[in-house]
Amino acid sequence: MKVVNLLALVDREKCRGCKTCERVCPVLAIKVVDRKAVVDAEKCRGCAACEQRCPYYAISMVKREEPVVVSVEVSAVDYTKVEELCRRAKLHPEQIICYCTATRAEEVAAAILQGASSPEDISLRTGVRTGCKVECIQPILRLLEVAGIKPEPPKGGWQWYGRTPTVWEIPDEVKKKYARRGFYFDEDIKLLDRVATAPLQERSDS
Amino acid sequence: MRPPIPPISPRKSQYGIDPSLVKKRVSELPGMTSVLLKELFPDLPEVIYPSERGIAAVRRATEEALKKVDMSMIKPEHSVNILASHHGFTLLGGEPYAEMLKTLKDVIQARTGCKNIRLRAGVGLRFRETEEYIKRYGLDKHFEGKAIGVAPIDEGIPIKTEIGTLYGIKKIYDADWIVHAHNSDVREVHFHRQVDRAVKPFGMSYARIETRSTYHQNLGPRAANFTARAIFDSPFVQSKFAFASFLTVTPNGIVGVDADNDLYALNDRITILGCRYYGKMMMLFGEIDECIAALDFPCPVVYVFSAGVIYANFAGANTDLYDLDMPLPAYTWYTEAFYGKNGKPLLGEIPSLNPAIKMCVHNYAWTGYPSAFFSEHIPTVVVGYEQAELFNRDPQNLNYMKHAVVAETTEAAMEFAYRVTGTRKVLIFDGAIGGINVSEPLAEFLLKKAPEVNERVESELLPKWLRQRGVDLLELKKCTA
Ligand code: SF4
Ligand code: SF4
Repeated sequence: MKVVNLLALVDREKCRGCKTCERVCPVLAIKVVDRKAVVDAEKCRGCAACEQRCPYYAISMVKREEPVVVSVEVSAVDYTKVEELCRRAKLHPEQIICYCTATRAEEVAAAILQGASSPEDISLRTGVRTGCKVECIQPILRLLEVAGIKPEPPKGGWQWYGRTPTVWEIPDEVKKKYARRGFYFDEDIKLLDRVATAPLQERSDS
Repeated sequence: MRPPIPPISPRKSQYGIDPSLVKKRVSELPGMTSVLLKELFPDLPEVIYPSERGIAAVRRATEEALKKVDMSMIKPEHSVNILASHHGFTLLGGEPYAEMLKTLKDVIQARTGCKNIRLRAGVGLRFRETEEYIKRYGLDKHFEGKAIGVAPIDEGIPIKTEIGTLYGIKKIYDADWIVHAHNSDVREVHFHRQVDRAVKPFGMSYARIETRSTYHQNLGPRAANFTARAIFDSPFVQSKFAFASFLTVTPNGIVGVDADNDLYALNDRITILGCRYYGKMMMLFGEIDECIAALDFPCPVVYVFSAGVIYANFAGANTDLYDLDMPLPAYTWYTEAFYGKNGKPLLGEIPSLNPAIKMCVHNYAWTGYPSAFFSEHIPTVVVGYEQAELFNRDPQNLNYMKHAVVAETTEAAMEFAYRVTGTRKVLIFDGAIGGINVSEPLAEFLLKKAPEVNERVESELLPKWLRQRGVDLLELKKCTA
């Protein structure tokens, strides 16, 4: 869940149509049309990725007159399914996966169950990945994967490239080779398993 | 009691309030004093910076350290990327790190005849931060226009590793050779736990979001550090790696420059430095029974520091961050993630944030790092409406002010803190060099506790910490000798 209070604003004089903004926007809300960047105000989630990467400083972030609340109602879907999806991705449903917006795994799972089929779509619906833009791509990809969805990265974009390994997938020979260097693979597996299977504190459908 | 040490000045940055709005520093208030770190721990090494030799000492130390480095792989027609990270620029005002970077370029050019030497400076979560430093320290001029900041959302490049494909930033690797220019300051011990600290930027400031998310979400709090090693050990990165040059840092300043073609050898040396000297500071801060934490430094909330200990680590100082048998520090992103909907941890053994911090007075600290967890769990007073508004406009901190209150002035904030908490112990995170700024009661407390902490770390904890990291105890003995 995110309260979107900012909006990207393009200075058309400064914009040179380089498309950097288009390649980094996590919700595909900015596009270059006739060599100038244009923001879809309804889609913009105020993450400032475009503003922070525009090589020509053509974008500024302005306060929205009316903040927009983006969230997915978890109680609108069958919570058993939400829980199942999260646990299969080895995430606790109440685990926070986006630190900036404090969005929990259950909301992303609910978004998927409601039809979100790509990280872009999930970010648009829940606001995840529109804070720091960095840390939460992997749990999103893990949840999509266990739902049987294989999204393709946006063509020509730099939004994301692919799911990366988890601790459960580290080969035994790697674990053995580095056993004495303080990495604690097996102990962390046990810890994460215990978190993923811990009881719920509060069911969203109760 | 000694007068307070002048704190690091506020900096103009898009991530912080305008320096003119910082009307008062906490150390200027009545009752504040300072303690020299050498008074606490007399065995701290002598520093080369700050010293009467000035910044020239850093240049000389870099030149000296580079003498033992093999640069023969770099040919005049090649290109070299000197890789830097934002954090170095926050150390002792930033000049020492900038000077090491400049010296590196000059020495490489003089020794190899190579002229195509670029600076690629990675960031944390403030994507234009190193851009600001490049201008501030004249690095763009020194590198003849070939100095850029790079961010984790820039174009990526897949890197095949022993554990699968991870992703680096393309511009980091777009040269024949890379030179890893970093520092040994420990900073985020809650994340790296002093495991492969020297290697970490390969999984962080040189890496794409996929890799950084692997570190913080896929591997677990202690296995996470393998991300960087996996990338560094990959045939791709090994084919480009020339050498590393590190500012060696202890809580009291820059102690030298260490350079090596073997990053793991360098890593072992800085592991000892980190565990021994920062370990002592952290254990000492862990002894504090009650205090007000005052944030007063030009960097994000979590990173403001006092004697090399960042606020995020003080918030976890009720546990031993160096003890790898303890899986989750009181603060790390894995811990934050594991707080459920009723506001309590999902597992019983997750430690709470340091209960000694009775209140946080946020006099001056930047946005650009998700910090709401702190204001949610530690009563926080932010000084000035402008600063509060800046946090409300930061996509990473939209919830920070939900839990914090605002005071109009530093004096009012501190008065409020004194009255509500009942403690007169104040620990100021203002980057004071060579010492720490504290209130008088805390100064007395720390001076009394330090000898016992020193003894405990030397005889009991340090050998354990190094053993857990596979660092040879003989190395430690050599260092001690
Ligand atoms: S990144 Fe900047 S210059 Fe490039 S298209 Fe977008 S707004 Fe225009
Ligand atoms: S969502 Fe972010 S990157 Fe996209 S247009 Fe809005 S501010 Fe720019």
